[in-house]
Amino acid sequence: MTVASPSLPPGFEELEAFVPYWVLDSNDQRRAARSTAAMDDIQRFYDAIVARAEQAIVHCEQFKLGQMPPASERLFKLLLAMNHAAIAVEMHGAPRAHESAWPSAVRITQGPWPHGGRI
Amino acid sequence: MSAVIEKPAARKHVIDERSFTHAAGLATGPVSVEPYRSPAFFELERERVFKRAWLCIGRVEQLPQINSYFTKDIEIWKASVLVTRDKHDRIRAFHNVCSHRGNLVVNQTCGVAERLVCRYHNWQYRNDGELIGVPDQKHFFDLDKKTCGLTPISCDVWEGFIFLNHQSKPEVSLAEFLGPFGTRYAGVPYFNLDETIVIQADFKANWKLIADAFAEPYHVPSLHPATLAPGFAHPEENRYARPLSAMAHGIHRHFSAYGNPDYLPAPTSKVEALVYVQDTGGVLSGDASDNAAALTAHPAINPTKDPCWSADVTWIFPNFNIDYSTGGFWTHEFWPVAHDRTHWTLKIYIPKTMSIRHRLQLEHYACRWAEVVLEDVTNCERIQRGLESGAKDTMILQDAEMLIRHSLHVLDKWVKADRVADALR
Repeated sequence: MTVASPSLPPGFEELEAFVPYWVLDSNDQRRAARSTAAMDDIQRFYDAIVARAEQAIVHCEQFKLGQMPPASERLFKLLLAMNHAAIAVEMHGAPRAHESAWPSAVRITQGPWPHGGRI
Repeated sequence: MSAVIEKPAARKHVIDERSFTHAAGLATGPVSVEPYRSPAFFELERERVFKRAWLCIGRVEQLPQINSYFTKDIEIWKASVLVTRDKHDRIRAFHNVCSHRGNLVVNQTCGVAERLVCRYHNWQYRNDGELIGVPDQKHFFDLDKKTCGLTPISCDVWEGFIFLNHQSKPEVSLAEFLGPFGTRYAGVPYFNLDETIVIQADFKANWKLIADAFAEPYHVPSLHPATLAPGFAHPEENRYARPLSAMAHGIHRHFSAYGNPDYLPAPTSKVEALVYVQDTGGVLSGDASDNAAALTAHPAINPTKDPCWSADVTWIFPNFNIDYSTGGFWTHEFWPVAHDRTHWTLKIYIPKTMSIRHRLQLEHYACRWAEVVLEDVTNCERIQRGLESGAKDTMILQDAEMLIRHSLHVLDKWVKADRVADALR
């Protein structure tokens, strides 16, 4: 049996479980992930990433924007996704705006650099 | 010397109870909802409004160098337009249509090229519109290349914004069209032009419904209770987010939005507090700087100079908003597609990402905006269904909704006037 090698920098092992769902390349993908997730899953991710956010930011600050090693970049993308989880947890108490339609007619076609994405 | 540290008395916000509607010379009765649901009215809008008014289609930064170009579909014209910066640094606009057999010439959304080639038979145009190359030209009959350039579109620039006019000889100039708005808002500083967040939506509602949504803050506490209300209303001092000012400027208009000076992220909003650590502006603002000081000093911005100011919304007739806050500016293009279909583009001008924390702040900013947009789009589709049902023939507007009343009043004039000069009166 092979053990999957950790994809995050050492010290952030407890966030590993969130990598497959929450590490995404664009602002719009992160928004869609949060909008379609179950509230319990968003809350679990939120609690885990918020607890480590300061350390994760300090870790990422060692590198220049857009020039991070892959493991650190994944951690940074988790921090970006944290903002989306916060919209659900801190604003709506629900995955997205109340009584809003999904699939949605709204797209973030250009997000901030880096990892904002362009459609 | 007192042992008690006196807290300064809290600023009490004074609501301006004078009527914006009366001051603009508008009536106060119910207004017809036919313009929102009638296909016949939509065709009148196409011909008499959108094909006669100057329409903003972008900014000069989209053409950063000589030979830059971009294309844009203007569905209400059923047209693809090509906008170029030629070698003389002139900004030009053309129908993106080949003179040979009518194909679209350029299929990229933007780029840099002096020569533009129609891929059907490789007819070649210079970016000033001249036809410069026709393969196998000798087998055409009396072809005069000089008369076969791209069809120009009237184009002019105001404060960096590019406007087009569908009339081959516009009845009024851009300056005449902008009128008192153009002079009043001249010299407003535009900053954070490095980067843009773009949010778009294609949805099933009349274009005016979304324009109306951004024309009044009365709906903010109810429709945007979590995303906007905490920053743009106040539970005691301005419960219904009454505007600080709302005025007509010729055929254009503005309102100034209240900002809650006490706003702070709730203690439970850990992420918002974390990412807004640098923030000194409003909820939808980024930074405070010399730019912000120059903006707020401009007489057109927050004209009553109310200390509880957050943003100015300006609505340039018919379908364009420029909104100003201390954190920068953003624009809305509300493009009609059909009487019940709209394409909306929101462009938010932001500073170049400076740090990890700044990037996190921008992500939060973008996703808060997208959530606001989602709330508004969902809401507009519901209104369209309500109006289409025929249950109501009119809607009732309050004073804070003055801009909507003014919009319908101006629209009515344009639809009825045979000459643009009359529509401007």
